[in-house]
Amino acid sequence: MIKEICSALLEADVNVKLVGSLRKSIKQTVNFKELAPGVNKKRLIQKAVFDELVKLVDPHAEPFKPKKGKPNVIMFVGLQGSGKTTTCTKLARHYQSRGFKSCLVCADTFRAGAFDQLKQNATKAKIPYYGSLTQTDPVVVAKEGVDKFKKERFEVIIVDTSGRHRQEQDLFDEMVQIQRAVTPDQTIMVLDASIGQQAEAQSKAFKEAADFGAIIITKTDGNANGGGAISAYVSRSRAFCR
Amino acid sequence: ISGLFRNVVGGKVLTHEDLDKPMKGMEEHLLKKNVAREAAIRLCEGVERSLVGVKTGSFQTVDATIRSAMESSLRKILTPTSSLDLLREIQSVTSPSLASLQSRRPYVISIVGVNGVGKSTNLSKIAFFLLQNKYRVLIAACDTFRSGAVEQLRVHARNLKELGEREGGFIELYEKGYGKDAANIAKDAVSYAAQANFDVVLIDTAGRRHNDQRLMSSLEKFAKFAQPDKILMVGEALVGTDSVQQARNFNAAFGAGRHLDGFIISKCDTVGEMIGTLVSMVHATGIPVVFLGTGQHYSDLRTLNIGWAVKLLMS
Ligand SMILES: Nc1nc2c(ncn2[C@@H]2O[C@H](COP(=O)(O)OP(=O)(O)OP(=O)(O)O)[C@@H](O)[C@H]2O)c(=O)[nH]1
Ligand SMILES: Nc1nc2c(ncn2[C@@H]2O[C@H](COP(=O)(O)OP(=O)(O)OP(=O)(O)O)[C@@H](O)[C@H]2O)c(=O)[nH]1
Ligand SMILES: [Mg+2]
Ligand SMILES: [Mg+2]
Repeated sequence: MIKEICSALLEADVNVKLVGSLRKSIKQTVNFKELAPGVNKKRLIQKAVFDELVKLVDPHAEPFKPKKGKPNVIMFVGLQGSGKTTTCTKLARHYQSRGFKSCLVCADTFRAGAFDQLKQNATKAKIPYYGSLTQTDPVVVAKEGVDKFKKERFEVIIVDTSGRHRQEQDLFDEMVQIQRAVTPDQTIMVLDASIGQQAEAQSKAFKEAADFGAIIITKTDGNANGGGAISAYVSRSRAFCR
Repeated sequence: ISGLFRNVVGGKVLTHEDLDKPMKGMEEHLLKKNVAREAAIRLCEGVERSLVGVKTGSFQTVDATIRSAMESSLRKILTPTSSLDLLREIQSVTSPSLASLQSRRPYVISIVGVNGVGKSTNLSKIAFFLLQNKYRVLIAACDTFRSGAVEQLRVHARNLKELGEREGGFIELYEKGYGKDAANIAKDAVSYAAQANFDVVLIDTAGRRHNDQRLMSSLEKFAKFAQPDKILMVGEALVGTDSVQQARNFNAAFGAGRHLDGFIISKCDTVGEMIGTLVSMVHATGIPVVFLGTGQHYSDLRTLNIGWAVKLLMS
């Protein structure tokens, strides 16, 4: 039974090491030798597994809540193609519909068509946006955009950034510089639900460099079971935001 | 890999019991490299089967025997059964030999895959590669769905125009905006390319989830209309177990008698040694890896070096 569960977790891309330690702590919780006869073993194991998993993903912290009447800057970070730009607009719309004056800043000056993408999304959702087709320094664009919207008394200012990964130090340095320039109240890492065994190393690196306060899991409408996301989350826990 | 049985040296006839534990270690090793569990198990079963009853070589440990059997098994699965010389294939279509009685036409490549894996970027890298080989390339913007998709290709076409003309090639973008049917645009792009004497048409498509029935089924019409010589699927090296299902579903999406011709495994630069995705995708379909994406610049495209891949997987 434990074996089956561990197989299922591996199948779902949970980190190999994590499955090992999960197996151990379940064996400790459920003392098989001392079980009274007639006790439903299967139920007991299921409960132990469930408790362990809940322990893993319980944020132990209050999720970030933007405050009305003041600017709340939220910065998005994550790997290439994880869904940052798409999710930025979704989140802006979410806050907009809850009465926050919301807007978007495109600080991705690298990817071809990034600004057009954000612009078209924002236009469809009727959300004001800022970006530049000529300025190539994302730090400058981010700062200009956030300053402008702060002046205009926007309450939720969401900053979209380029995709990056831990193997390229320059890209990580750039992220830290953007962060320093806009001093976000909340940094969110966007993670694709289908990510495999790199989840832990990448999210750990993002945590260390950008100290994000929440993870948003995207593409949960696909087939993947989001186990990689659990691994990422466990290594870097904090508030969980959907 | 586990150090079990390291000291059992030479001349041992291997039994199932001898192999059981070290094979478990091997399986875990492959999982850590991001090989999907299904593929890892199948590979290990194959290796175990091939080793039971075999006598280990003199001075060879059980571990080393397993290792070398796994290495050759990986090498075998990654080695394509037919030639992958893309340039030669293009040549045979754009300048057919007299004996073939074929007339000249453009070679059509279409790129498919799930959302955000790197289809448009790697399509642009292929365009760059073709321009370096002095081809006339038409990019067809058939992602008519995702915001900014057309502009993204417009930027790439503009960047590549300068680079390409320096190299002696020519590039143009065929676009019809958003919202229209991709299969129709693809078809029109191919006829335009034939008229305007292009050598290669590169068709970008919208990302789609492999479990989205509706979007997947439109690929069949797309293949019928565009008649691509090559359908390449982009899979990202970051993806985990889902790789198997992605590869299978896309391979089955083009109707009877048509399947994928190759994979592009993108974002290899983001995973270090964990390059298991390429094993998973090939394992699931038997379709070969044609290119690896190794970065976000035009020159970050490689062909698969099997020795390199096996070494990383076994390290
Ligand atoms: N199915 C599905 N697709 C999604 C979801 N979120 C984003 N996408 C798609 O994933 C692809 C990549 O999304 P983007 O928002 O461009 O990703 P990004 O992180 O901004 O990418 P870069 O800026 O290039 O790093 C697009 O095709 C999106 O439409 C989701 O929740 N489900
Ligand atoms: N590090 C790295 N990034 C890559 C590679 N290939 C593509 N990318 C990045 O991945 C992101 C998504 O690439 P796209 O080419 O837009 O992906 P797509 O599959 O066309 O996305 P959709 O059309 O939205 O489904 C971009 O930020 C690319 O720069 C690669 O080989 N390495
Ligand atoms: Mg983006
Ligand atoms: Mg695309």
